[in-house]
Amino acid sequence: MGLKEKMHELKLKYQGKKMAPAFNAFHTFLYAPNETTHSGGHIRAVDDLKRTMNTVILALVPCLIFGIFNAGYQHYSAINGFPAEFSLFEHFINWDNFILGVTTILPLVIVSYGVGLIVEFIFAVIKGHEVEEGYLVTGMLVPLIVPVDTPLWMLAVAVIFGVVIGKEVFGGTGMNILNPALTIRAFLFFAYPTWMSGDKVWVHGAKAGVTQAGSTDAISGETVLGYLAQGNTEGMYAKYDLSEMFFGFIPGSVGETSTFLILLGGLFLIFTKIASWRIMLSAVLGSLAMGLIFNGVVEFGWIPEYSKFYGLMSFDFWQHLIVGGLAFGIVYMATDPVTGSQTNKGKWIYGFLIGFISVMIRVFNPGYPEGVFLAILLMNVFAPTIDHYVVQGNVKKRLKRMKNATILPNVGEEAEQLKAETV
Amino acid sequence: MLEHLELFFKSIFIDNMVFAVFLGMCSYLAVSKKVSTAVGLGAAVIFVLGVTVPLNWLLDQYLLRDGALAWLGPEYADYNLGFLSFILFIATIATMVQLVEIVVEKFSPSLYNSLGIFLPLIAVNCAILGGSLFMQTRDIPNIGLAFNYGISSGIGWFLAILAIAAIREKIRYSNVPAPLRGLGITFIITGLMGIGFQSFGGMLTGDNEPPEESAPTTAEVKQKEEKDIKKEIAEDDKAVSYNEVLNK
Repeated sequence: MGLKEKMHELKLKYQGKKMAPAFNAFHTFLYAPNETTHSGGHIRAVDDLKRTMNTVILALVPCLIFGIFNAGYQHYSAINGFPAEFSLFEHFINWDNFILGVTTILPLVIVSYGVGLIVEFIFAVIKGHEVEEGYLVTGMLVPLIVPVDTPLWMLAVAVIFGVVIGKEVFGGTGMNILNPALTIRAFLFFAYPTWMSGDKVWVHGAKAGVTQAGSTDAISGETVLGYLAQGNTEGMYAKYDLSEMFFGFIPGSVGETSTFLILLGGLFLIFTKIASWRIMLSAVLGSLAMGLIFNGVVEFGWIPEYSKFYGLMSFDFWQHLIVGGLAFGIVYMATDPVTGSQTNKGKWIYGFLIGFISVMIRVFNPGYPEGVFLAILLMNVFAPTIDHYVVQGNVKKRLKRMKNATILPNVGEEAEQLKAETV
Repeated sequence: MLEHLELFFKSIFIDNMVFAVFLGMCSYLAVSKKVSTAVGLGAAVIFVLGVTVPLNWLLDQYLLRDGALAWLGPEYADYNLGFLSFILFIATIATMVQLVEIVVEKFSPSLYNSLGIFLPLIAVNCAILGGSLFMQTRDIPNIGLAFNYGISSGIGWFLAILAIAAIREKIRYSNVPAPLRGLGITFIITGLMGIGFQSFGGMLTGDNEPPEESAPTTAEVKQKEEKDIKKEIAEDDKAVSYNEVLNK
């Protein structure tokens, strides 16, 4: 007897019982559902929720693979020193990097999916509805936006918080107001700040005190934004050049470093019409605008050089896009169709403000070297307000148009003309 | 100008009345079911704060604070009527709220009805009294800034209630678990919104002071003086020996 028959048998056995959603979920996860709707009119479309989610996961896979190699690369380079002549296959894509990356990052993925899906199953069984696909993308995003060495139990606690408080209490997938992945990231950031920022968390082994080769100094790795926040612009450029920032051979959260792969993923999502290009474009414009304003302030000499904000303010406006999590946030988080703005005009405003506020937090908030996740959460809070006013505006415009269409012939100049002509 | 801008930004976002100091929660939770009602109450709060904070600033400056009565004559300079702050501030606020109530009832009866008991209750809305008391403790230096502070903290409260009202309208048809429906989910939303507003927590703080030339310490001053004295003595000695040589 094959697995398929066994699953089907189990499904029939538990039909109508309390545990039914759990078995149904496994069944539909492995095999296409064999039931069709019998009554009423329906729109048939190929891209159901599951396929939409899978497309996003597909777009995330390059980032994950890059993150795996980068974890190894950063670790060994911190120990042995960075290679003077970088060659992709010799120093980056090799077995050592791969094995270290897999052993550090795969557990994150497993814990994220395992814990999150357990919570989803429990809620489905208690509430008696089918298990929803909503966690598929969140579970993939979470390991990509945390530092390499995040302890697994912290991740588990944060995932439970994020799924229960961020999503299930609102009624599950499609009802949440904040992006669950970002809620998890924010929970980790505020609950365990020492594991989420500083120069000891971005390289595997730094927190455990692994030392450099031939010395007793512990390894460390500061992100580009970390350097800039300390006003150490020369030190940053001495260590990383622009192409390294763009292709992602820099320390950072697991999946956020490679702007190049994120760009590819973003184009893929736009091409498949999963994510909104309006949000992405306007967020890029917003961050460029804020960056330009800051560059202008420096250019005109309105800010003294001893100021703490000088280093980040003088950072070239377009370079904000290729460091830190801005690109990752814009492409994969801001475009979340549930928590983002849902009207076209609203999407422009929503995206623009995300870019604008992200760069503003980066520069002005000494507590957070990276502000993208908070900016997106803040705009998630305001997205319903933006939508409300866009919709009200449309309603008003149409009412006015209707009024004009019906009333014009009775009053005003045209009406006078009409009267004169008829008389 | 710059200080006005900074205070404006700070009191809307960084020291937001709802998310940073958790004031004015009762009407924030109770009157946020519909956006239009929330906008009406928010506007009333902006108005009342914008009027009462500068008025209370005047009261504080010329009546209440230590030595404020000096303008009456030197014999009054020792009085400190600070213990009357609460009751006088509340009196100002209650008067202004009465005024708002009359105006709203006259010009927008529908809003008056939907706000219900919460319009007169603005008088005891802690955000309003909080505005005046923060104005007092933060020593806002002039009436222009006091007006700015009142208006901008009102706008901060307005934004908070606007956002939560829009969210509550959006989740009206969500399948929220039965025990959490109503106030429960509203509290959870408020907490999550607070996480969003953490973006601004601690913003603009900790900018470096301009590096000053260090003033000479007392020890250094003493040393320098001693040196000068020694020098003088040495010169005197020299002069003496020179004279001696001459005399010889």
